[in-house]
Amino acid sequence: MKRILYILTILLTLTACHDQPQWRDDPYGNFDALWTIIDEHYSFFDYKQVDWNEVGARYRAKLTHDMTSQELFDLCGDMLKELRDGHTNLIASHDVSRYWIWEQYPVNYDERLIDDHYLNFNYKQASGIKYAILPNNYGYMRYASFSNSIGDGNLDLVFSYLSTADGLIIDVRSNGGGYLTNVETLVGRFIDRRTHVGSIQHKNGPGHNDFSEPFDYYFEPTKNHIHYQRPVVILVNRGSFSATNNFVSIMRHLPQVTIVGDTTGGGSGLPFTSELPNGWRIRFSSCPITDVDGTVTEFGVAPDVRVDLLDTDAAQGRDTMLETAFQVLRSRL
Amino acid sequence: MKRINILLCLVLSVLMAWASQEVGDSLTDRAVDLPDVEPSCLLEPNRPPAIMFTAEGGWGRVLDSYLTPITYKGWHTALGFEHNQACGFSPERWQRQLSLGVAYDHVDNRVGNNTMHHLGGTARWALMRRWSGVFNRHFSLMGGGMTWLHGGIIYNSANSNNPVSVKAYWTLGLQGIAQYDTHLGHVPVCLRYQAALPVAGVWFSPDYDESFYEIYVGNRKHLIQPGWWGNRFDLDHQVTADFRLGGTILRVGYHGTIERSWARHLNTHITTHGIVIGLGGEFLSLPSRSSRVISTY
Repeated sequence: MKRILYILTILLTLTACHDQPQWRDDPYGNFDALWTIIDEHYSFFDYKQVDWNEVGARYRAKLTHDMTSQELFDLCGDMLKELRDGHTNLIASHDVSRYWIWEQYPVNYDERLIDDHYLNFNYKQASGIKYAILPNNYGYMRYASFSNSIGDGNLDLVFSYLSTADGLIIDVRSNGGGYLTNVETLVGRFIDRRTHVGSIQHKNGPGHNDFSEPFDYYFEPTKNHIHYQRPVVILVNRGSFSATNNFVSIMRHLPQVTIVGDTTGGGSGLPFTSELPNGWRIRFSSCPITDVDGTVTEFGVAPDVRVDLLDTDAAQGRDTMLETAFQVLRSRL
Repeated sequence: MKRINILLCLVLSVLMAWASQEVGDSLTDRAVDLPDVEPSCLLEPNRPPAIMFTAEGGWGRVLDSYLTPITYKGWHTALGFEHNQACGFSPERWQRQLSLGVAYDHVDNRVGNNTMHHLGGTARWALMRRWSGVFNRHFSLMGGGMTWLHGGIIYNSANSNNPVSVKAYWTLGLQGIAQYDTHLGHVPVCLRYQAALPVAGVWFSPDYDESFYEIYVGNRKHLIQPGWWGNRFDLDHQVTADFRLGGTILRVGYHGTIERSWARHLNTHITTHGIVIGLGGEFLSLPSRSSRVISTY
């Protein structure tokens, strides 16, 4: 009996008790929490050649015990901008820090220009998709956000309506992303077999190089629903970010698809969220997704045809990028 | 006429059970003593199941580093069901217990600007050997094995691609009960400490920063972890007093749970403390209709 109790006592010392660091809710505690969370979870240090230890030391030297909450927020926000990552945000009740690359480039999209001069405000809408057949018999689909869930029934109606068009333009300019499941739903209408669309990894430990093996993932064609197999042009700009970037990185490998516009905004790391002692939330890229070639598209996908929306054209009611899409479709027919 | 006979037997059995309880027999002892009454309608020893429904309220503390490194605290509530019965193969020595429960914890972070919701369900079945009169005739011990199935989620609405931590495990372990029968005035009281301690099993755990999207697109490798005291420790224990008020048993007491795990650099600490109030009783169980013999003389 004594031996059993002795063994039980030994085994109980093996229990899974692991202390979790709890930082103080003061400028130093919150800063250290932020730095540590990023240090242990962020996924692109090597890809972006960021020396996070150096960055942390440089910004920590600017801390003071009596700094205001706003000053701390600005300091932390500046530190996070060193990561050049649109998915990395510090979120407080009064502000959101951001590094949104599209703010540094031309907008390259004017919704009113399209509605007024090409659609003549005569379009249909379903599942967050605005669609019409233009006078030149090209189909036009505007998908403004991958957060708008797409129903298969709605898509059937959209593609049924567009089936008589000679080609299709999918406008995802300034589409800031949303749900990756909507990417799968949409791509499923353009593939006719099980298709390797990319690879996904995740951090499997706190070290900067602790990653799982890349996992190849595939999309299936949507069964028993309408597919679109005619030439397709996808219009993109720097605001085509996150899930939209993923959509473009997949579609560009399909033979009937041409990407037109500016480089996309990137954002190929699936963001996770964590928290600081003062209640601020920190979002950061955690799971890198590569395209089918294994290319990291964190800084965007280059278009097949590079073009900007020119002010001179816009002044005349012309969308330079859409006009280029027409030329591409004409050349593909 | 047969129905009247059955009813009479039932009434007689209940009255005899009540009488044996009044002289201070414990709940489980009565399960043993009932055959001595020998109601003419039963061939097998009677093993009345004791059933208890409980409600619980208290305090909870949740840390799940997949969601946040911050410990959340708040209120805890739970509903439970417990079924105890002597085993047919050896009613004097063995007892089985089935416990079912659902629990909900509503916990906030330290500064109070975010809430997490922890919802879980548990099913536990135990088979225990009973030793009556260990130190004196009022004290008995039970100990044996149990199997424990648990499922639940912790939901953090403020998170992006890690909003949910799924909790699922199945374990084998130990369960023990120490029980003391006494009286408070004329009211029989059963004081009881019960603990369930998982030893080994399997549990679900994503990797350190593995998203559910990756699982969704097909990467389901290594999601099931072997569990032992080296990577997880769970304990469910309660101290209760059961007051026998006529045919009803009133339970009051304390119920605590501990869940700790450390695997794949993910840390979980969940602790709850609750005040338990329950109502229950004993229910006479008859053999199945086909094996029931009705006296005809």
